[in-house]
Amino acid sequence: MLLLAIESSTGQVGCAVGGHEGVLASAHTSRGRRHAECLAPQIEFVCRQAQVELTDLGAVAVDVGPGLFTGLRVGIATAKALAQALAIPVIAIPSLDLLAFPARFSHRLIAAVIDARRGEIFYAFYRHVPGGVQRVSEPTLGSPDDLGSELLAAREEVLLVGDGALRYQGALPESSRIEVVEQGLANPSARTLALLAHARALREEWVQPWDVNPMYLRKPDAAIGWATRDGAAG
Amino acid sequence: MPVITARTTGPDETRALGAALADLVRPGDVVVLAGDLGAGKTTFTQGLGAALGVAERITSPTFTIAQEHRGRVRLHHLDVYRLENLREATDVGLDEMLDDEAVVVIEWGDRILPVLPTDLLEMRFRFVDGGDDDRAVDVRPVGFHWIARSAALERALARWCEAA
Ligand SMILES: Nc1ncnc2c1ncn2[C@@H]1O[C@H](COP(=O)(O)OP(=O)(O)O)[C@@H](O)[C@H]1O
Ligand SMILES: [Mg+2]
Repeated sequence: MLLLAIESSTGQVGCAVGGHEGVLASAHTSRGRRHAECLAPQIEFVCRQAQVELTDLGAVAVDVGPGLFTGLRVGIATAKALAQALAIPVIAIPSLDLLAFPARFSHRLIAAVIDARRGEIFYAFYRHVPGGVQRVSEPTLGSPDDLGSELLAAREEVLLVGDGALRYQGALPESSRIEVVEQGLANPSARTLALLAHARALREEWVQPWDVNPMYLRKPDAAIGWATRDGAAG
Repeated sequence: MPVITARTTGPDETRALGAALADLVRPGDVVVLAGDLGAGKTTFTQGLGAALGVAERITSPTFTIAQEHRGRVRLHHLDVYRLENLREATDVGLDEMLDDEAVVVIEWGDRILPVLPTDLLEMRFRFVDGGDDDRAVDVRPVGFHWIARSAALERALARWCEAA
Protein backbone atom coordinates (compact mmCIF):
# COMPACT_ATOMS: atom_id res chain seq x y z
CA MET A 1 0.00 0.00 0.00
CA LEU A 2 1.17 3.51 -0.83
CA LEU A 3 0.86 6.21 1.74
CA LEU A 4 1.59 9.89 2.14
CA ALA A 5 3.25 10.95 5.43
CA ILE A 6 2.90 14.52 6.71
CA GLU A 7 5.07 15.83 9.54
CA SER A 8 4.90 19.38 10.91
CA SER A 9 5.22 19.30 14.70
CA THR A 10 8.42 21.35 15.04
CA GLY A 11 10.07 24.20 13.14
CA GLN A 12 10.41 21.74 10.28
CA VAL A 13 7.69 20.72 7.85
CA GLY A 14 8.01 17.67 5.63
CA CYS A 15 6.25 14.92 3.75
CA ALA A 16 7.12 11.58 2.20
CA VAL A 17 5.57 8.94 0.00
CA GLY A 18 6.26 5.35 0.96
CA GLY A 19 5.12 1.81 0.55
CA HIS A 20 6.34 -1.76 0.91
CA GLU A 21 9.58 -0.79 -0.88
CA GLY A 22 10.26 1.82 1.79
CA VAL A 23 10.36 5.57 1.28
CA LEU A 24 9.97 6.54 -2.39
CA ALA A 25 10.42 10.30 -2.09
CA SER A 26 10.54 12.92 0.62
CA ALA A 27 10.97 16.65 1.18
CA HIS A 28 11.69 18.66 4.31
CA THR A 29 11.95 22.40 4.92
CA SER A 30 13.22 23.84 8.16
CA ARG A 31 13.80 27.45 7.24
CA GLY A 32 11.45 30.24 8.24
CA ARG A 33 8.61 28.19 9.70
CA ARG A 34 6.39 28.61 6.68
CA HIS A 35 4.49 25.38 7.16
CA ALA A 36 1.36 26.56 5.40
CA GLU A 37 3.21 27.85 2.34
CA CYS A 38 5.57 24.87 2.07
CA LEU A 39 3.38 21.83 2.57
CA ALA A 40 1.19 21.80 -0.54
CA PRO A 41 4.11 22.29 -2.98
CA GLN A 42 6.08 19.61 -1.09
CA ILE A 43 3.24 17.11 -1.47
CA GLU A 44 3.02 17.84 -5.18
CA PHE A 45 6.81 17.48 -5.51
CA VAL A 46 7.17 14.16 -3.66
CA CYS A 47 4.22 12.61 -5.49
CA ARG A 48 5.69 13.65 -8.83
CA GLN A 49 9.17 12.37 -7.88
CA ALA A 50 7.72 9.08 -6.68
CA GLN A 51 5.45 8.87 -9.74
CA VAL A 52 2.46 8.44 -7.51
CA GLU A 53 -0.98 9.95 -8.09
CA LEU A 54 -2.94 11.06 -5.04
CA THR A 55 -5.61 8.59 -6.08
CA ASP A 56 -3.04 5.75 -5.73
CA LEU A 57 -2.74 6.41 -1.98
CA GLY A 58 -4.21 3.92 0.48
CA ALA A 59 -3.71 5.99 3.64
CA VAL A 60 -2.42 9.29 4.96
CA ALA A 61 -0.05 9.29 7.93
CA VAL A 62 0.31 12.32 10.15
CA ASP A 63 2.40 13.41 13.12
CA VAL A 64 -0.14 14.45 15.79
CA GLY A 65 2.32 16.03 18.21
CA PRO A 66 3.00 17.11 20.86
CA GLY A 67 4.68 20.08 19.24
CA LEU A 68 4.16 23.58 17.98
CA PHE A 69 0.52 24.52 17.63
CA THR A 70 0.89 26.52 14.44
CA GLY A 71 2.70 23.72 12.64
CA LEU A 72 0.49 20.89 13.88
CA ARG A 73 -2.63 22.72 12.80
CA VAL A 74 -1.41 22.94 9.20
CA GLY A 75 -0.24 19.31 8.99
CA ILE A 76 -3.26 17.76 10.65
CA ALA A 77 -5.76 19.87 8.71
CA THR A 78 -4.06 18.92 5.43
CA ALA A 79 -3.94 15.23 6.32
CA LYS A 80 -7.61 15.16 7.30
CA ALA A 81 -8.72 17.05 4.21
CA LEU A 82 -6.77 14.75 1.89
CA ALA A 83 -7.96 11.59 3.61
CA GLN A 84 -11.54 12.75 3.53
CA ALA A 85 -11.38 13.76 -0.13
CA LEU A 86 -9.74 10.48 -1.14
CA ALA A 87 -11.93 8.41 1.23
CA ILE A 88 -8.91 6.74 2.84
CA PRO A 89 -8.00 6.29 6.52
CA VAL A 90 -5.43 8.16 8.63
CA ILE A 91 -2.56 6.75 10.65
CA ALA A 92 -1.77 9.05 13.57
CA ILE A 93 1.65 8.80 15.23
CA PRO A 94 3.03 10.96 18.06
CA SER A 95 5.99 13.24 17.29
CA LEU A 96 8.14 11.90 20.12
CA ASP A 97 7.84 8.34 18.77
CA LEU A 98 9.12 9.59 15.40
CA LEU A 99 11.98 11.43 17.04
CA ALA A 100 13.12 8.41 19.07
CA PHE A 101 12.93 5.84 16.24
CA PRO A 102 16.19 6.76 14.42
CA ALA A 103 18.04 6.23 17.74
CA ARG A 104 16.79 2.61 17.87
CA PHE A 105 20.27 1.12 17.38
CA SER A 106 21.36 2.38 20.78
CA HIS A 107 20.87 0.20 23.82
CA ARG A 108 20.95 3.23 26.09
CA LEU A 109 17.79 4.76 27.51
CA ILE A 110 16.56 7.23 24.85
CA ALA A 111 14.97 10.60 25.67
CA ALA A 112 13.09 12.31 22.84
CA VAL A 113 12.80 16.04 23.59
CA ILE A 114 10.89 18.67 21.59
CA ASP A 115 11.23 22.42 22.21
CA ALA A 116 7.82 23.65 23.40
CA ARG A 117 9.08 27.28 23.45
CA ARG A 118 9.44 29.74 26.32
CA GLY A 119 11.50 27.49 28.53
CA GLU A 120 9.40 24.34 28.24
CA ILE A 121 9.88 20.99 26.55
CA PHE A 122 7.83 17.95 25.58
CA TYR A 123 9.63 14.71 26.38
CA ALA A 124 9.28 10.96 26.76
CA PHE A 125 11.65 8.03 27.34
CA TYR A 126 12.14 5.04 25.05
CA ARG A 127 13.97 1.72 25.00
CA HIS A 128 15.31 -0.36 22.18
CA VAL A 129 13.14 -3.34 21.25
CA PRO A 130 13.59 -5.66 18.26
CA GLY A 131 12.90 -3.60 15.14
CA GLY A 132 12.37 -0.28 16.86
CA VAL A 133 11.79 1.50 20.14
CA GLN A 134 9.13 1.30 22.79
CA ARG A 135 7.92 4.25 24.83
CA VAL A 136 8.47 3.64 28.55
CA SER A 137 7.07 6.90 29.97
CA GLU A 138 4.10 9.17 29.35
CA PRO A 139 4.77 12.19 27.12
CA THR A 140 5.33 15.12 29.50
CA LEU A 141 5.32 18.92 29.33
CA GLY A 142 7.95 20.29 31.69
CA SER A 143 11.06 22.39 32.17
CA PRO A 144 14.63 21.38 31.32
CA ASP A 145 15.12 21.11 35.11
CA ASP A 146 12.31 18.56 35.35
CA LEU A 147 13.98 16.51 32.64
CA GLY A 148 17.36 16.95 34.35
CA SER A 149 16.00 15.46 37.58
CA GLU A 150 14.63 12.48 35.69
CA LEU A 151 17.95 11.97 33.92
CA LEU A 152 19.79 11.89 37.24
CA ALA A 153 17.18 9.62 38.81
CA ALA A 154 17.51 7.18 35.89
CA ARG A 155 21.03 6.22 37.06
CA GLU A 156 21.94 4.86 33.65
CA GLU A 157 23.29 6.05 30.32
CA VAL A 158 20.84 8.22 28.41
CA LEU A 159 20.94 9.35 24.78
CA LEU A 160 18.92 12.53 24.10
CA VAL A 161 17.55 13.50 20.70
CA GLY A 162 15.52 16.46 19.49
CA ASP A 163 15.58 20.25 19.18
CA GLY A 164 14.57 20.59 22.84
CA ALA A 165 17.63 18.62 23.96
CA LEU A 166 19.87 20.72 21.72
CA ARG A 167 18.45 24.05 22.88
CA TYR A 168 18.66 23.23 26.57
CA GLN A 169 21.80 21.11 26.52
CA GLY A 170 23.51 23.66 28.80
CA ALA A 171 20.72 23.41 31.37
CA LEU A 172 20.94 19.61 31.69
CA PRO A 173 23.07 17.96 34.37
CA GLU A 174 26.74 17.50 33.52
CA SER A 175 27.37 13.80 33.50
CA SER A 176 29.31 11.37 31.38
CA ARG A 177 26.17 9.22 31.33
CA ILE A 178 24.18 11.88 29.48
CA GLU A 179 24.77 12.48 25.78
CA VAL A 180 22.86 14.77 23.41
CA VAL A 181 22.89 13.81 19.71
CA GLU A 182 24.34 16.90 18.04
CA GLN A 183 23.61 16.22 14.40
CA GLY A 184 20.83 14.85 12.29
CA LEU A 185 18.18 13.94 14.85
CA ALA A 186 16.85 17.36 15.82
CA ASN A 187 13.40 16.98 14.22
CA PRO A 188 10.93 14.18 13.58
CA SER A 189 11.20 13.10 9.96
CA ALA A 190 8.48 12.36 7.44
CA ARG A 191 10.61 9.45 6.22
CA THR A 192 10.39 7.81 9.66
CA LEU A 193 6.66 8.52 9.69
CA ALA A 194 6.22 6.79 6.33
CA LEU A 195 8.13 3.72 7.58
CA LEU A 196 6.31 3.41 10.91
CA ALA A 197 2.94 4.13 9.34
CA HIS A 198 3.41 1.47 6.67
CA ALA A 199 3.91 -1.18 9.35
CA ARG A 200 0.73 0.00 11.05
CA ALA A 201 -1.20 0.13 7.80
CA LEU A 202 -0.46 -3.57 7.29
CA ARG A 203 -2.04 -4.21 10.68
CA GLU A 204 -4.89 -1.86 9.74
CA GLU A 205 -4.16 0.31 12.78
CA TRP A 206 -5.79 3.39 11.41
CA VAL A 207 -8.58 5.81 12.24
CA GLN A 208 -11.11 7.82 10.31
CA PRO A 209 -10.10 11.38 9.41
CA TRP A 210 -12.74 12.93 11.68
CA ASP A 211 -11.29 11.07 14.68
CA VAL A 212 -7.80 12.59 14.30
CA ASN A 213 -6.88 15.23 16.86
CA PRO A 214 -3.61 16.87 17.83
CA MET A 215 -2.02 15.52 21.00
CA TYR A 216 -1.99 18.63 23.14
CA LEU A 217 -0.10 18.61 26.44
CA ARG A 218 -1.20 21.77 28.13
CA LYS A 219 -1.10 23.76 31.28
CA PRO A 220 -4.20 24.19 33.46
CA ASP A 221 -6.80 26.48 31.95
CA ALA A 222 -8.66 29.52 33.29
CA ALA A 223 -11.46 31.67 31.98
CA ILE A 224 -10.60 35.14 30.73
CA GLY A 225 -12.31 37.92 32.72
CA TRP A 226 -14.51 39.75 30.22
CA ALA A 227 -16.64 41.99 32.42
CA THR A 228 -16.10 44.84 29.94
CA ARG A 229 -16.83 42.88 26.80
CA ASP A 230 -19.90 41.04 28.06
CA GLY A 231 -21.22 44.04 29.95
CA ALA A 232 -20.95 46.29 26.91
CA ALA A 233 -24.00 46.69 24.73
CA GLY A 234 -23.58 44.96 21.37
CA MET B 1 7.21 53.40 36.97
CA PRO B 2 4.97 56.41 36.21
CA VAL B 3 2.64 56.21 33.28
CA ILE B 4 3.38 58.39 30.28
CA THR B 5 0.19 59.85 28.83
CA ALA B 6 0.18 60.71 25.14
CA ARG B 7 -2.67 62.49 23.35
CA THR B 8 -3.66 62.27 19.72
CA THR B 9 -6.30 64.20 17.79
CA GLY B 10 -6.90 61.82 14.90
CA PRO B 11 -6.09 58.39 13.44
CA ASP B 12 -3.07 59.62 11.50
CA GLU B 13 -1.55 60.95 14.68
CA THR B 14 -2.13 57.62 16.40
CA ARG B 15 -0.41 55.93 13.44
CA ALA B 16 2.51 58.34 13.78
CA LEU B 17 2.71 57.44 17.46
CA GLY B 18 2.93 53.80 16.45
CA ALA B 19 5.66 54.63 13.97
CA ALA B 20 7.61 56.47 16.68
CA LEU B 21 7.71 53.24 18.70
CA ALA B 22 9.15 51.26 15.79
CA ASP B 23 12.67 52.48 16.57
CA LEU B 24 12.32 51.27 20.13
CA VAL B 25 10.89 47.80 19.82
CA ARG B 26 13.15 44.81 19.39
CA PRO B 27 12.58 41.24 18.30
CA GLY B 28 10.98 39.36 21.19
CA ASP B 29 9.17 42.41 22.60
CA VAL B 30 5.54 42.26 23.67
CA VAL B 31 3.25 45.29 23.35
CA VAL B 32 -0.14 44.93 25.03
CA LEU B 33 -2.89 47.21 23.70
CA ALA B 34 -5.80 47.83 26.07
CA GLY B 35 -8.91 49.93 25.65
CA ASP B 36 -12.46 49.74 24.36
CA LEU B 37 -13.59 48.93 20.84
CA GLY B 38 -12.82 51.80 18.52
CA ALA B 39 -10.28 53.35 20.87
CA GLY B 40 -7.48 53.03 18.33
CA LYS B 41 -5.60 49.78 19.02
CA THR B 42 -5.62 48.56 15.43
CA THR B 43 -4.94 52.05 14.08
CA PHE B 44 -1.86 52.24 16.32
CA THR B 45 -0.67 48.83 15.08
CA GLN B 46 -0.99 50.02 11.47
CA GLY B 47 1.46 52.84 12.18
CA LEU B 48 3.86 50.60 14.07
CA GLY B 49 3.73 47.89 11.40
CA ALA B 50 4.24 50.26 8.49
CA ALA B 51 7.29 51.74 10.21
CA LEU B 52 8.62 48.21 10.78
CA GLY B 53 8.47 47.76 7.02
CA VAL B 54 5.24 45.78 6.71
CA ALA B 55 3.98 46.42 3.18
CA GLU B 56 0.44 45.04 3.33
CA ARG B 57 -2.44 46.78 5.04
CA ILE B 58 -2.86 45.72 8.66
CA THR B 59 -6.45 45.02 9.67
CA SER B 60 -7.98 43.82 12.88
CA PRO B 61 -7.30 40.09 13.35
CA THR B 62 -10.44 39.73 15.48
CA PHE B 63 -11.68 36.68 13.60
CA THR B 64 -8.38 35.05 12.74
CA ILE B 65 -7.03 35.90 16.25
CA ALA B 66 -3.44 36.08 14.97
CA GLN B 67 -1.84 37.46 11.84
CA GLU B 68 1.85 37.38 10.97
CA HIS B 69 3.39 40.25 9.00
CA ARG B 70 6.86 40.44 7.56
CA GLY B 71 8.80 43.69 7.74
CA ARG B 72 12.40 44.36 8.69
CA VAL B 73 11.42 42.41 11.78
CA ARG B 74 8.46 40.07 11.83
CA LEU B 75 5.30 41.23 13.57
CA HIS B 76 2.73 38.94 15.19
CA HIS B 77 -0.51 40.90 15.57
CA LEU B 78 -3.12 39.27 17.81
CA ASP B 79 -6.59 40.29 18.94
CA VAL B 80 -7.78 38.06 21.79
CA TYR B 81 -11.23 39.64 22.08
CA ARG B 82 -12.98 36.48 20.86
CA LEU B 83 -11.22 34.11 23.25
CA GLU B 84 -13.01 32.70 26.27
CA ASN B 85 -10.17 30.85 27.98
CA LEU B 86 -6.45 31.30 28.45
CA ARG B 87 -5.87 27.89 26.89
CA GLU B 88 -7.24 29.15 23.59
CA ALA B 89 -4.38 31.64 23.50
CA THR B 90 -1.98 28.71 23.75
CA ASP B 91 -3.90 26.91 21.03
CA VAL B 92 -3.40 29.71 18.52
CA GLY B 93 0.35 29.28 19.10
CA LEU B 94 0.96 32.15 21.53
CA ASP B 95 4.05 30.57 23.10
CA GLU B 96 5.61 30.05 19.69
CA MET B 97 4.96 33.65 18.72
CA LEU B 98 6.42 34.92 22.00
CA ASP B 99 9.60 32.89 21.42
CA ASP B 100 10.10 33.72 17.77
CA GLU B 101 12.40 36.76 17.52
CA ALA B 102 9.37 38.76 16.41
CA VAL B 103 7.56 41.79 17.81
CA VAL B 104 4.26 40.66 19.32
CA VAL B 105 1.38 43.16 19.53
CA ILE B 106 -1.73 41.92 21.36
CA GLU B 107 -5.03 43.81 21.29
CA TRP B 108 -6.90 43.21 24.58
CA GLY B 109 -3.67 41.63 25.83
CA ASP B 110 -4.33 43.01 29.33
CA ARG B 111 -6.90 40.19 29.65
CA ILE B 112 -4.39 37.41 29.19
CA LEU B 113 -1.54 38.66 31.40
CA PRO B 114 -1.18 35.26 33.19
CA VAL B 115 0.10 33.71 29.94
CA LEU B 116 2.31 36.65 28.90
CA PRO B 117 5.93 37.39 29.84
CA THR B 118 6.59 39.65 32.83
CA ASP B 119 8.32 42.16 30.53
CA LEU B 120 5.96 44.11 28.33
CA LEU B 121 4.83 47.54 27.23
CA GLU B 122 1.23 48.29 28.13
CA MET B 123 -0.65 50.95 26.16
CA ARG B 124 -4.15 51.82 27.28
CA PHE B 125 -6.22 53.75 24.73
CA ARG B 126 -8.96 56.00 26.10
CA PHE B 127 -11.67 58.20 24.66
CA VAL B 128 -11.42 61.68 26.16
CA ASP B 129 -13.79 64.61 26.49
CA GLY B 130 -13.42 66.86 23.52
CA GLY B 131 -13.65 65.93 19.85
CA ASP B 132 -14.67 62.49 18.54
CA ASP B 133 -11.14 62.11 17.26
CA ASP B 134 -9.35 62.84 20.52
CA ARG B 135 -7.70 59.96 22.32
CA ALA B 136 -5.39 59.57 25.30
CA VAL B 137 -2.92 56.71 25.57
CA ASP B 138 -1.47 55.68 28.92
CA VAL B 139 1.87 54.03 28.25
CA ARG B 140 3.35 51.87 30.98
CA PRO B 141 6.63 49.96 30.74
CA VAL B 142 6.45 46.75 32.80
CA GLY B 143 9.43 44.64 33.80
CA PHE B 144 13.17 45.26 33.73
CA HIS B 145 13.68 45.27 29.99
CA TRP B 146 11.03 47.92 29.38
CA ILE B 147 11.73 50.05 32.45
CA ALA B 148 15.35 50.22 31.29
CA ARG B 149 14.04 51.88 28.13
CA SER B 150 11.82 54.44 29.93
CA ALA B 151 13.93 57.46 29.03
CA ALA B 152 14.04 56.50 25.35
CA LEU B 153 10.32 55.86 25.50
CA GLU B 154 9.66 59.32 26.91
CA ARG B 155 11.79 60.90 24.20
CA ALA B 156 10.02 58.94 21.47
CA LEU B 157 6.59 59.98 22.73
CA ALA B 158 7.45 63.57 23.74
CA ARG B 159 5.66 65.04 20.70
CA TRP B 160 2.34 63.73 21.98
CA CYS B 161 2.79 64.52 25.66
CA GLU B 162 1.68 67.83 27.11
CA ALA B 163 4.31 69.88 28.84
CA ALA B 164 3.82 69.54 32.57
N1 LIG C 1 -7.08 59.85 17.61
C1 LIG C 1 -7.48 58.68 17.07
N2 LIG C 1 -6.72 57.59 17.17
C2 LIG C 1 -7.10 56.42 16.65
N3 LIG C 1 -8.25 56.22 15.98
C3 LIG C 1 -9.06 57.28 15.84
C4 LIG C 1 -8.71 58.54 16.36
N4 LIG C 1 -9.71 59.40 16.06
C5 LIG C 1 -10.62 58.70 15.39
N5 LIG C 1 -10.26 57.42 15.25
C6 LIG C 1 -11.06 56.39 14.58
O1 LIG C 1 -11.43 55.43 15.58
C7 LIG C 1 -11.40 54.14 15.06
C8 LIG C 1 -10.40 53.31 15.81
O2 LIG C 1 -10.57 51.99 15.40
P1 LIG C 1 -9.55 50.82 15.73
O3 LIG C 1 -8.17 51.31 15.61
O4 LIG C 1 -9.95 49.67 14.90
O5 LIG C 1 -9.91 50.58 17.26
P2 LIG C 1 -9.67 49.26 18.16
O6 LIG C 1 -8.69 48.41 17.46
O7 LIG C 1 -9.16 49.81 19.46
O8 LIG C 1 -11.01 48.62 18.32
C9 LIG C 1 -11.04 54.26 13.60
O9 LIG C 1 -12.20 54.30 12.83
C10 LIG C 1 -10.29 55.58 13.55
O10 LIG C 1 -10.39 56.20 12.27
MG1 LIG D 1 -8.86 46.32 16.86
